[in-house]
Amino acid sequence: MATNKKIKSILGSPVVWPVVGCIILMVLTYAVSGSFNARILTAGLKLCVFAMLLGMAQMIVVTSGNGAIDISQKYILTLAAYVSCEVMQTNIFAGILAAVLVGVLCGLINACVNVFLNIHAMITTMATGYMYYTIILLVSNKFSNSPNSAFVKWTNSSFLGINAMTLTVIVIAVILYFVLYKSKYGLNLHAVGQKREAARLAGINVKKTVIIAFLINGALCGLAGAMNAAYCGGANQDLGTTYFIPSIAACFVGGTNAAGGKSNIIAVCVGAFMMTLMSTFLNAAKIPASWQRLIQGIFIVLLLAVATKSAKTKS
Amino acid sequence: MKHTAEQKPLLSLKGIDRFFGITKALQDVDLDIYAGEVIGLIGPNGAGKSTLMKILTGVLPRTNGEIWYAGEACENYTTKTASQIGIACAYQDLSLCTNLSTAENFALLNVGHGAAPDMNWRRRTQKEAKDFLEQYFPGNGIDISKPVEALSLTDRQVVEICKTLLAENLKILILDEPTSALSSDKAKQLHRIVKELSAQGVAVIYISHKLAEIKEVTDRIVVLLNGQNKGELYSADITQEELVATMGGVAEQKDKVIRDLSANEKMLDISHLTKGDLTDINMELKRGEIVGISGLAGSGQQELLQMIFRSAKKKVDGIETKGNIAYVSGDRATEGVFQFWNIKNNILVANFDRVSGKLLISNKKAKESAQEWYDKLKFRAEGIDSNIMSLSGGNQQKALIARGVASEAEIIILNDPTAGVDIGTKQDIYKLLEEVRDMGKSVILYSTEDSEMEICDRVYVMHDGHVVKELKGADITVPNIVTASFIETEKKQIVEKKENPVAAAFSKPWMLPLLTLLLVFIANIAINPNLMSYVGLQMKMRSSLPLVFAALGQMFIVMVGDVDMGNGYSIGLVNVIVGVLLTGNVWIGLLGLVIFVCAYMAMSVLIKLRRIPAIVVTMGAQFIWYGIALIISPTPGGSCPEALSAFFRFQSPLIPFPIVLSVIIGAVTWYFLFRCRYGMVLRGSGNNAQTLERSGWSNLLTKVVAYGVAGVFAVLAGLAFTATSNGADANSSVNYNMMSIATVILGGCSMTGGVPIPGGVVMAALAMNLINTLLTAMKVNSNFQTAIIGLILIGVLALKFLIRKGNKNGHE
Repeated sequence: MATNKKIKSILGSPVVWPVVGCIILMVLTYAVSGSFNARILTAGLKLCVFAMLLGMAQMIVVTSGNGAIDISQKYILTLAAYVSCEVMQTNIFAGILAAVLVGVLCGLINACVNVFLNIHAMITTMATGYMYYTIILLVSNKFSNSPNSAFVKWTNSSFLGINAMTLTVIVIAVILYFVLYKSKYGLNLHAVGQKREAARLAGINVKKTVIIAFLINGALCGLAGAMNAAYCGGANQDLGTTYFIPSIAACFVGGTNAAGGKSNIIAVCVGAFMMTLMSTFLNAAKIPASWQRLIQGIFIVLLLAVATKSAKTKS
Repeated sequence: MKHTAEQKPLLSLKGIDRFFGITKALQDVDLDIYAGEVIGLIGPNGAGKSTLMKILTGVLPRTNGEIWYAGEACENYTTKTASQIGIACAYQDLSLCTNLSTAENFALLNVGHGAAPDMNWRRRTQKEAKDFLEQYFPGNGIDISKPVEALSLTDRQVVEICKTLLAENLKILILDEPTSALSSDKAKQLHRIVKELSAQGVAVIYISHKLAEIKEVTDRIVVLLNGQNKGELYSADITQEELVATMGGVAEQKDKVIRDLSANEKMLDISHLTKGDLTDINMELKRGEIVGISGLAGSGQQELLQMIFRSAKKKVDGIETKGNIAYVSGDRATEGVFQFWNIKNNILVANFDRVSGKLLISNKKAKESAQEWYDKLKFRAEGIDSNIMSLSGGNQQKALIARGVASEAEIIILNDPTAGVDIGTKQDIYKLLEEVRDMGKSVILYSTEDSEMEICDRVYVMHDGHVVKELKGADITVPNIVTASFIETEKKQIVEKKENPVAAAFSKPWMLPLLTLLLVFIANIAINPNLMSYVGLQMKMRSSLPLVFAALGQMFIVMVGDVDMGNGYSIGLVNVIVGVLLTGNVWIGLLGLVIFVCAYMAMSVLIKLRRIPAIVVTMGAQFIWYGIALIISPTPGGSCPEALSAFFRFQSPLIPFPIVLSVIIGAVTWYFLFRCRYGMVLRGSGNNAQTLERSGWSNLLTKVVAYGVAGVFAVLAGLAFTATSNGADANSSVNYNMMSIATVILGGCSMTGGVPIPGGVVMAALAMNLINTLLTAMKVNSNFQTAIIGLILIGVLALKFLIRKGNKNGHE
């Protein structure tokens, strides 16, 4: 009886689908390439950090409820990437800090428009995204777009066989885990996401909670920008575009409730890894780029149809 | 018309029981309904009137008992059975599509569903609606072509009642508090209608708290008390006082400990508070006191509680409070429980600080604190880690009260905490309240159950936004409360106001896009007079056609409450199908386009049936569009079919063809949405899907149609785009996604659905394109162009928000 229940609770957990997806993709990769070694795994872990950061950030925004979603993430990432390259000319840490601050500032703008002008988050971030893009275009020919070589070296370094960026993101994920599920703020956020009116009546400052969600989101996008500039060998105007869909897919495949109030950071991280494994597989199978897109699209839509079903029957 | 001795009842409820868990909402209730008789149904709050009516309309199944109709017992009695018999109910919460006009709301019920053309349906339904309203409410002055949301509350209530009367074969009409929003002359008209219907042989069940009215319109009065039938009276031979006495029941004199609290400090002091629905409220609350708020539901109690709660955070004039305030709602489902959480978090949520360590929540403290409450309140559950939704309503309520008390607030407001709670749990809750009081906290208890007031030290009885009576100590009895509840106050005049025509024109949603277009157009001409020429306009406007189509497609999806995040790539796919496939083989190309539109419809089925957010599905779908487009055309290439580019280059006389085309397409869309039967249904579905379903229309079909139309518009946008770009490129139309959403908003549509404005969208699309031209002509750095679109978007929405806010303040 007890074990039965345990199995049931494991099967009902949102981690299941992304894990199953990962295993299937690993098997498929093995089938097409004849080998699946640790190198592919570590490369995947290095590559997935950006989708992970954005996916976690998106998850926090979505969890704040009211159907919130941030579609300006890719622009925040790109803008932060440019700023980090420029500032890193003088100091690496100042560069990282500047990137994070740019992200926080963008998040603050998003939050203020959303909360105080009462404009739906999707529309808000669409409009602000336009503005961030303009700023990107303006700074792109003024700022340096080549990364600091010492920082690039750091992003390629590894510790205990694991890439430095991967480790950093894991540390961040662990911190966020505690913030989201063990701290007062995290619980407030989930309460606000479930029912804003009930949260208000329970004495929670709903506006503040939503604003902080956007700030965390911005900060994570900013950090992703700084690391991505180094990873890609410099900033370019469309830097963030690559990670936009994988991060959103990771967020929802990871069982984040689109209406808010329910999240699972582990499932989202595994989901991001799965999205990376998918492109590894598609590349290993030597599938042409066009077909890759098609397969990815179908895969995402199908996975969502399955994953949202399991979330529904549970509640 | 009183029924005669030999008359057989039309419908009989026999020995009806209805239990909710342990709560006995109805016990052994009998009700005979005779054709042509008007029955008044009265009883204090919580007597079971609504439950009985829900059983009669088939909304709720009965626990025990029989329903007899035409000499037969109905076995399977559902809403369908009820409507077949001819039972209709006018609800207090209106069941209208507020974005549709009165005539259209009526038409939803009585136009044909078939595809057969019916050119006159509009004129016919409008005339019918007008005649119908005029027949029942002569001189009502309701504009039947105005959206219902623009009508006053009185008019809406009139429309709601008339919609009920529309039911075919009406045999039994239920009116639930019909005059609550009616002015007195309209109420008189309603009384006349009731008489007429009764003369025609329709049975009417009239529920009201207004006893004078009950006495006047009904033939027979049925009194319900605590879910039991307390006798039937004939309206002609009873006085109002006797009625009140019947409802109050027999007073049980109980010994009550009267506590002297005069020395305690004042925790709450309200003096001469007049705001919203409240008039001149005076009230105070001492430390350690339980103060009750009573009166008929909807007399302003909710507003008062909310205002007191808000005053602790943000000063409200006229209210002085001390300390924190906790609010416990009895509306558990929407204002109370956090459905994804366990009992522990649901109790602790109001004050996580109390169980926090330095940084994080202390698991140990949280468990201890929650366990303490869990034991004290004797929850019937597996433990504090059980999900809150696994508890019964009463146990959920205990958790909510525990939440309020555990928050360590000085004042606890309880808003009808025992609604739908069984007797045993109610006793637990009363005991808990007494404990809370003894801890030195103050309690404000609002309850719709009058007998609950007996645990209070003092009770304020409200009526119509006034406090009409203050009861103390031994005077707090159910009869006294019931009597006080019916004290009439000076009636607030329900004023029907007139609108200023100029202001009305400016508040029209198409005004903003029109002004923007004119402004941008004039600015363009000022800078570049050549634009005014035929060739100039032809060139300029042709480039805006793809956006016109893309935005109209987006509008259809927004109208049914969704958003298409993938139309940038879907237009790219059409571009490729046309530029590569269609130029190769017309039939393959056309087949591709048909499959494309079908794929759009399939997407809506997925969204509707699996309830996945549209934003996510359309975003995922964009990969599919893009992938297929890349397969067809891996690199930019292709060409535009000759016939297509000739079509778009067509030189129409006088006015350039793109303008003609935009106007035509806008007009056609408008005609479909505002002049065709199914267009009306589509608009209704975006506003109130439930009502639509009840009127017999399928919500799945409306989604499929809306997405199908959006797919067709994506095809048109792709065709226009191919003609302008003269080639195929999977990538180059990505921007239409954001641009189309921005255009829909600038065009005046509401993102929450139900409000399509084709004219506004077409004008906004032209304006968007001209803005870019203008910026280029003004030598604004092209980089700024996207930012300006973003700013316009925020500006438009901020303006709307401020206007809405201003209107709301103006009404108060």
